[in-house]
Amino acid sequence: MKQMDLMGWLFLFLGLPLLLLLTLPLIKMTTEPSVAMLKETIADKDVVAAIARSIGLSLCAAGLAFTMGTPLAYLLARKELPGKRLLEGIIDLPIMIPHPVVGIAILSLAGKNHPIGRFLSDAGIQIMGTKTGIICVLLFVGLPFYINTVKSGFDSVPVRLENASRTLGAGALTTFMRITFPLTWRHMILGTIMCTARAISEFGAVVIVAYHPMTAPVMIYERFTAFGLKYSQPIAVWLIFISFVLFVLLRMLSKSIHPHRR
Amino acid sequence: MITLSHINMHLPEFSLTDIHLQVHTHDFFALIGPTGSGKSLLLEGIMGIMPFTSGRLLSEGTDITRYPVEKRRLALVYQDFALFPHLTVFKNILYGTAFHNISKNEAEKRFTYLVSALGLEKILRRYPHNLSGGEKQRVALARSLILNPRVLLLDEPLSALDPVFHDEARQLLKKVHKNLNMTIIMVSHNFEEVLYLANRGAIIKDGRIMQQGNIMSLFEKPDSRFTAGFVGMKNIMPYHLKRNSLQITGTPLEIFPPGPPDPAHQHVGIRPENILLHIPGNPVCENHFTGKIKDITSHGVFLRVQIEAQGVIFEAIWPANHIRQFRLEIGKTAAFGFHSESVHTF
Repeated sequence: MKQMDLMGWLFLFLGLPLLLLLTLPLIKMTTEPSVAMLKETIADKDVVAAIARSIGLSLCAAGLAFTMGTPLAYLLARKELPGKRLLEGIIDLPIMIPHPVVGIAILSLAGKNHPIGRFLSDAGIQIMGTKTGIICVLLFVGLPFYINTVKSGFDSVPVRLENASRTLGAGALTTFMRITFPLTWRHMILGTIMCTARAISEFGAVVIVAYHPMTAPVMIYERFTAFGLKYSQPIAVWLIFISFVLFVLLRMLSKSIHPHRR
Repeated sequence: MITLSHINMHLPEFSLTDIHLQVHTHDFFALIGPTGSGKSLLLEGIMGIMPFTSGRLLSEGTDITRYPVEKRRLALVYQDFALFPHLTVFKNILYGTAFHNISKNEAEKRFTYLVSALGLEKILRRYPHNLSGGEKQRVALARSLILNPRVLLLDEPLSALDPVFHDEARQLLKKVHKNLNMTIIMVSHNFEEVLYLANRGAIIKDGRIMQQGNIMSLFEKPDSRFTAGFVGMKNIMPYHLKRNSLQITGTPLEIFPPGPPDPAHQHVGIRPENILLHIPGNPVCENHFTGKIKDITSHGVFLRVQIEAQGVIFEAIWPANHIRQFRLEIGKTAAFGFHSESVHTF
């Protein structure tokens, strides 16, 4: 690695305020609650349930993104589809739409005034105030992160490798499973991490679709509005800590796969 | 035998036009052309990776034009060898056997033979990123040959290799062709490597076949200015017929060909290595001149020399020791010539 020169120090000086902006509030928040307060918070069954719900439902959303988003990402990476750019733009939309709008949009579709809402209702599927509704919005906001990450993974696998597999007698699906999939597995884990991370942090869309059952961000908001900063901070600290451990484990998992690859 | 009959492939920015080729069983057939001429595209079309727009592709008499890639019983070795990076050499070689009707015993037998013949015993547990260019090539060949394909397609097999591996790799390909009695179609832009390896070939330019046939006939009897230039012919000049000689247009210089040229021909060409230096006053060729040396470039063991005679600049290739033997110097006069048989018209 190169040693820091004058330009390096100048750039560090310019970037330092950003690093401080990112770290100082988090440091302040995570060090503010006392150990006793943290212990008391984690002993609260409602808090544990909300954090577990947030992580569990986010992983469900990421699982759905993996199952259905992987083929879509492959199509976008490999095939020339009519309106492909438009499709890519639509997939990126959730990144820029205000999140309460996402919640409102999903509710308007799931309401009884819409055929889809009536169909779901007839099939016994409720969106408003249910875990299904929460998974829907979490998938909505997390999907662009999964698709874009996995698509870049597919882009990084030379088409020649797939063609070589075909020339050796493997069919298209076998080639996908035996060549493309193993070579993009790390991107899929990374996409899952990104999608889960985005979903765990979601508040705006979730609060519209389902205030209850309560997810951790909604509970943090509720405790903040009802009891103030002191009572909301420990939940936030636990959510950050548990999510951090989860993501570190997932990253370690992704590193351990195909360690021979450069 | 592989037959391509009136093949066309139209892409947005490039087309293969009316390709007609025959590759005989056990041929080492070379598709030769400059970069961007469409030779690799044609190879991918034969393999089925890129579909032909029209025309027919026959393999041993069976029309395989619409067969999917995996059903053609052809194998393609890519320029960069396209080894699967997540599989060991062992698994790379055996990869295709799962998709063919090859018994376990037969696969083991072929594997043992190829590993031994290609000297892969010591690298079976390695991953592709730990292999040299030459090793990658041998693994890619073994991976294809284990399937016993009807035809082996090679896309620029030597161009991704370091020059130190070139000779070894060329000999390996020659050995594979000879020992396994394979039919091989190879794409190359290097005529020198084609001369060493192939027995037949076709020269392709802008998606069209310019000339095809025996490699030596392509080398010795190019039928167009492009082909002549591509196979290393130099001293290409326009001429007009003057009784039994060819007068180089715009100069008084006359050249005696081996016989009356085709009336449609307009250019004459002479290989630089066919121009001979001789002692003044003692000509050894039917065409002999005296000229002034304009330039001498050393290429190690040989010299590239330009000599001007009667307003024509000839390019010749001579052994490096000629510089001392004939005391060659820029500006000095030299006597040189060439036999009538060395004069080609097109």
